[in-house]
Amino acid sequence: MPTNPLRDPRDRRLPRVPEPCALVVFGITGDLARKKLLPAVYDLANRGLLPTNFALLGFARRDWGDVEFSELARSAAREHARTPWREEVWERLANSVRFIQGSFDDDNAFDELAENLAELEGSHGIGGNAAFYLSIPPAMFPTVLKQMQRTGMAESTPDRWRRVVVEKPFGTDLASSRELNALVDSVFTADDVFRIDHYLGKETVQNLLALRFANTLFEPIWNGNHVDSVQITMAEDVGIGGRAGFYEKTGAARDVLQNHLLQLLALTAMEEPVEFSAEEIRTEKLKVLRAVSVPEDKERFAVRGQYEQGWLAGQRATGYRQEEGVSEDSTTETYAAVRLGVETRRWAGVPFYLRTGKRLPRRVTEIALVFKRAPHLPFAPTDTEELGHNQLVIRVQPDEGVTLKFGSKVPGSVMEVRDVAMDFLYGEQFTEASPEAYERLLLDVLLGDATLFPRNAEVEASWAVIDPLEEYWAATTPQPYRAGEWGPRAADAMLEAEGRQWRRP
Amino acid sequence: MTTLWDTTGSAVVKELAAQRRTGGAVMSGVALTLVVVADESRVTEAEQAASAAAEVHPCRLLIVVRRQIEAPVPRLDAEVLVGGRLGPGEAVVMRMYGRLGLHAESVVLPLLAADAPVVTWWHEAPPDQIARDPLGVIADRRITDASMAADPVAALRVRAEDYAPGDTDLAWTRSTPWRATLASTLDSVSGRRGEPVRVIGGQVEGDPENASARLVAGWLSSRCGCDIQVVAGARVPGPSGIDSVELHLDQDEEVRLQDDRKGGAVIAQPFRPEAVVALPDRSLGELVGEELRRLDSDEPYSEALESVTGTTGLSDRPACRDHVWFDPMRPDQTVEPTNGSGEVDGGSATARPAPTVPDVPGDTDEIALSGEHDSPADDSDEQPAVSGRRAPAKKAARK
Repeated sequence: MPTNPLRDPRDRRLPRVPEPCALVVFGITGDLARKKLLPAVYDLANRGLLPTNFALLGFARRDWGDVEFSELARSAAREHARTPWREEVWERLANSVRFIQGSFDDDNAFDELAENLAELEGSHGIGGNAAFYLSIPPAMFPTVLKQMQRTGMAESTPDRWRRVVVEKPFGTDLASSRELNALVDSVFTADDVFRIDHYLGKETVQNLLALRFANTLFEPIWNGNHVDSVQITMAEDVGIGGRAGFYEKTGAARDVLQNHLLQLLALTAMEEPVEFSAEEIRTEKLKVLRAVSVPEDKERFAVRGQYEQGWLAGQRATGYRQEEGVSEDSTTETYAAVRLGVETRRWAGVPFYLRTGKRLPRRVTEIALVFKRAPHLPFAPTDTEELGHNQLVIRVQPDEGVTLKFGSKVPGSVMEVRDVAMDFLYGEQFTEASPEAYERLLLDVLLGDATLFPRNAEVEASWAVIDPLEEYWAATTPQPYRAGEWGPRAADAMLEAEGRQWRRP
Repeated sequence: MTTLWDTTGSAVVKELAAQRRTGGAVMSGVALTLVVVADESRVTEAEQAASAAAEVHPCRLLIVVRRQIEAPVPRLDAEVLVGGRLGPGEAVVMRMYGRLGLHAESVVLPLLAADAPVVTWWHEAPPDQIARDPLGVIADRRITDASMAADPVAALRVRAEDYAPGDTDLAWTRSTPWRATLASTLDSVSGRRGEPVRVIGGQVEGDPENASARLVAGWLSSRCGCDIQVVAGARVPGPSGIDSVELHLDQDEEVRLQDDRKGGAVIAQPFRPEAVVALPDRSLGELVGEELRRLDSDEPYSEALESVTGTTGLSDRPACRDHVWFDPMRPDQTVEPTNGSGEVDGGSATARPAPTVPDVPGDTDEIALSGEHDSPADDSDEQPAVSGRRAPAKKAARK
């Protein structure tokens, strides 16, 4: 007996819409909330994906009324929304926007928040369901979580759900992430905790699962018998911006390697999940993360770098140590490259080279599978001088899509084989239609679909990979590289030592 | 952009290939071919909508305009665009004069993207029997628009008579926001109750002559197993044709959706305050875009259509159609093939068309002649081929 006669699995025009609920954002005046969350909420509303009874509550220290808040939210949404602006959509949304002023240790403010929620339950018909988005520094988590516990806001009951959304960084090492997890789990049940890694909300990352498991073409060669090595790159052309305080303490490895890059590695290397469900996908990812091995020879295979002044995109860029708020003898890395192994039958012996950095020549994220050379080439050696390795590249951003690189004959009277690239462009055509990562992830939180969220065991397994590296790095100084070049020399030497070289993305 | 006047299908194929080569950024990943059949007066509208849809779903766009079927000499004019007015992809706008219009597939078939689905959309009155238009026969999915007809409900009946899985109608697409809101409203009722909801009756208030309103009522009837009709309301409904929808539920409850005339609808349901949702009017491009998202047959639509028109077994019909020859110049002679059997093109002597398709001899097929070697002198061997046979030489106007 279906619960709703109007729902028909064959009717795929009707979107998945969450139950009536409220979204409470702590730190609503922050950068992330203004640039990502508020526009995402508007876009969801515009696409008709928000429930009919929905309320948005903002909590922050700033002394504002509902009207001022609504004005800020409107301009933020309007500026950053991806869908066309429709005033009437915003007006509907604005009716259910509230702002609560207070600091996180202020009992009264939280009592007010709880009252507001209870009131909206009736007046806006949200039915007691609420998701809390902690868009605040992790140092504030304990205070906020304790307040929520005190006011009983965090309890899920059979009648209502309460969920919490946590942003990275999930701790700074294994010990602190365990502590953080324990804290969050003591207030919310594990199933109600959603850890956002916005990379997993990107279409291409989800497409990676489709590419691997919906096709027959790639899976047979997706293993160490055919793959020579895997390179996962996340490069940024920007510097640290105004985040010196945060970055000095974090560094590239904790900021990017621990979460984004290891998640991409897990999705690339994982076995086929039993079914396409949150639990099964997380199980497979966890298996891979636990099988990741750290290099013995860290001096050669774990390289850190720090950018010096240089030229980037036609402009002078200052060095990291000259950035405002960075100490002159800082040893924080802005570049990290590491050779990892995945100790499974499928991947044993295949190196996974991961690198990330700031002030690199361009902003690009990609996963490249470099295939072994053909065991025998029936051509004269001179014919294939320019033939490289076959490659399958999944471009995560920008130009989302897939590139296949293979050898082809150069037109002409002589036999000469050279590499060509075949491109499948995904993002360009779909940019308007495909939801932004935050939009997708927010919707999933409200729907309670945890497929694209790492669970705490994954976070802990990732820290278990990073911790030994950080331990080794603690006693070293990062290698300098000029802003605008592809990382320090040592990173190139790391691949050259094994007769390979970085792909220029 | 290149415009080819008085040209042939092969020249169009070649020009498209040439533009792809020289165009630089060749769009890869063409997922389908969208064939638009439009009336000259609606070409601009159709072009805008199709290019908006093409931005969302990369496709090759073929726009066919049939003009002056009675013209004595058949003629083809074509505009080939790659990354121009019609969006990022490849597009060809073809104007077909004279009896070439009856053989449009001869030009279109070689232009289809290889091994990709074909969607045909009529932005004009579609044929009563889609099988009479070869452009419908080659399509995997066929989009019509009953609301363009003078009598939309009669048009729905025609569509039901002629239905084959893979047919769809923009009147149905227009109903999606209403249907989505109704479904989520019942979700919230069943969520509150924690048990299933049953609909025991209801009504759609609006314009009984509106195809979308009728389809929503038909959909509700088919899903709920009770009779729900469109009744004329006191207020004149907006473009959606629906002013309000009322559903009577078990446990003596009732939900009601009311168009608020400000691009939204008010939802009234028990134990909940009234809420407003946005129901914005969508552009034609967005509607076509929604249609291109799914290419399999749409059972909920066929069930709604059955319920509106009283026909049955629509989804059991074969999805493939055979072409039925129909000559609009001699409509009296083509009454009998309505049973869909037999009378295909040229099958009956009486219906055989006058042989006025471009009578270019076989050996002047440019593709066969020059497709293998892309010599820069391509144009030179094509000029005499066309101009040698018929007076107006091909004039290629490059912009």
